[in-house]
Amino acid sequence: MSGIETVKIIVEAEKQAAEIIQEAENKAAQIRKSIDSLIQDQRREMLGTAREEAATIVKRAEQEGRVDAEGFEKESAEKIRELVTRASTRKNTTAERLANIVLEGEK
Amino acid sequence: MSETSKFTEDILAAARAKAQSIIGEAENQTRQASEEAKTVISREVGEIIQNARADAEAVKRREISEARHRSKLQEQKEKSTILSEVLEKTRNRISDMARDQTKYLPYLTNLIETGVRELGDDVALIHLNQADLSRINISNLEKEIGKQLGKECKIEWSKEPIEALGGAIVSSIDGKARIVNTIDQRFDALEPKLLIEAGKSLFGE
Repeated sequence: MSGIETVKIIVEAEKQAAEIIQEAENKAAQIRKSIDSLIQDQRREMLGTAREEAATIVKRAEQEGRVDAEGFEKESAEKIRELVTRASTRKNTTAERLANIVLEGEK
Repeated sequence: MSETSKFTEDILAAARAKAQSIIGEAENQTRQASEEAKTVISREVGEIIQNARADAEAVKRREISEARHRSKLQEQKEKSTILSEVLEKTRNRISDMARDQTKYLPYLTNLIETGVRELGDDVALIHLNQADLSRINISNLEKEIGKQLGKECKIEWSKEPIEALGGAIVSSIDGKARIVNTIDQRFDALEPKLLIEAGKSLFGE
């Protein structure tokens, strides 16, 4: 093999090596590029799921709150009914007492 | 293998190794970026859920608070109705009591005597309601008032009835000075106290 042929072979090998590296750099760039969109997709999906979960939490709280409120109002209505019933039985004696206060200045 | 072949093979092997390293580094970087992104996204997710939980608590509190407010208003409305009824009953009861002359006459005498004293004139004009004008023996009443006053005071009786449950208006002859000692005036003046007493008696407040 002549010296020129040897140089040619080496130059060709260098060329191939450069191509291999270029190809690797292209692939690396592709990998880096794909991660951005992957992260964006991942972010969109995770936040979407989180927002759905958040909406469910608030909706469930609204329902629970309504149930609690209904329970409270029912209990309260019962207490008011008892209060009205009890007070109704005292109307006459109270009116008598107030009349005495007006007419006699009773303490 | 010739020297040249070995040399070119080394060049290519080195290139492949470097290529592997370039790709490996890119993969490592993306893996790291992905982990960092996950951490950031997880934090955002955490905030969304945390805010939702806080909103949920606020929603529940608001529902209960509104229910409590509605109940309180309903309770106040019921109490107010009962208090109004009791005040009306009280007026009726006073009206009934005013018909019992044994109790009412000393009371009326006292109201007139107090009014005359407050007026401080030598002559006083007394105004009564129609029922009292019709049924009360004015001369007896005048005597009783005179006894209580313990001094000379001429009393004149207005023939124009007043609108009142009972009691009297004591005025100067020219009508410029008036002492209102009616049951209605006393009722109105005592109303805040009556409401407190009624609250205690009816609702144990």
